[in-house]
Amino acid sequence: MAQQRALPQSKETLLQSYNKRLKDDVKSIMDNFTEIIKTAKTPDETQVSRATQGEQDNYEMHVRAANIVRAGESLMKLVSDLKQFLILNDFPSVNEAIDQRNQQLRALQEEGDRKLIALRDEISIDLYELEEEYYSSSSSLCEANDLPLCEAYWRLDLDTDSADGLSAPVLASPEPSAGPLQAAAPAHSHAGGPGPTEHA
Amino acid sequence: MATYSLANERLRALEDIEREIGAILQNAGTVILELSKEKTNERLLDRQAAAFTASVQHVEAELSAQIRYLTQVATGQPHEGSSYSSRKDCQMALKRVDYARLKLSDVARTCEQLLEN
Repeated sequence: MAQQRALPQSKETLLQSYNKRLKDDVKSIMDNFTEIIKTAKTPDETQVSRATQGEQDNYEMHVRAANIVRAGESLMKLVSDLKQFLILNDFPSVNEAIDQRNQQLRALQEEGDRKLIALRDEISIDLYELEEEYYSSSSSLCEANDLPLCEAYWRLDLDTDSADGLSAPVLASPEPSAGPLQAAAPAHSHAGGPGPTEHA
Repeated sequence: MATYSLANERLRALEDIEREIGAILQNAGTVILELSKEKTNERLLDRQAAAFTASVQHVEAELSAQIRYLTQVATGQPHEGSSYSSRKDCQMALKRVDYARLKLSDVARTCEQLLEN
């Protein structure tokens, strides 16, 4: 698969390169540290003057200290690369993390649906009472203005929107509407059934 | 180290290794600073040098173990699993709950208006 890769190496060479970097950096730290300690020993006789020898030792220690710091930073970069490799390629833990996340989300979804169903059962009881109240408070005769509960609810919304009275309020005036007889028939079926008007 | 431990544990171990590398450099600096004094505290020197050596060996061993584990476990293929489907289902469930709450608030408002009227 010719996908774009940051490194054109196979997995094995990459891990071998990690090993090599580790060995080199650790060796560099140890060697440079040992050499600094050795250089700290003041020799009795020197071929050059003490000042020159001192300057040379000073410079050498600076360079070795810089090498130790460079090796330490290279180790930090290696650890960062290992972290990245682990996140991308450690399949057992990635699978486990995905399974955990799926379980959490599924539990949340089931809890939400369970609460909705409980809410629906409670509201259906209250709605039944509301409908009984509504249909008993309307006139006992079937009039042209009788509407099903949902129609009355929607008409009420429209009435509150058009408050300047362009259209006369439907409930107030006995205006013959388009299908009052059709509206009356479902009204009886609504009052008859105890179930909710809308199914969940 | 368990083979199938959580990635979090391994990442935490790698973070500990990072802290230990910082401690290695600090130990090395303390040793050299101590050597530069006229009157060196030998016990401190020995202790710091021993800590330095032990830390370096520990870091090397841990990183080798991590690289060995990755050699066993890694393939060249990308991981194609995702939690997208369950996330979508959960999102839809939350939207359902939101919608029900909206409708309930409408009904409550309407009831209050009718009661006032």
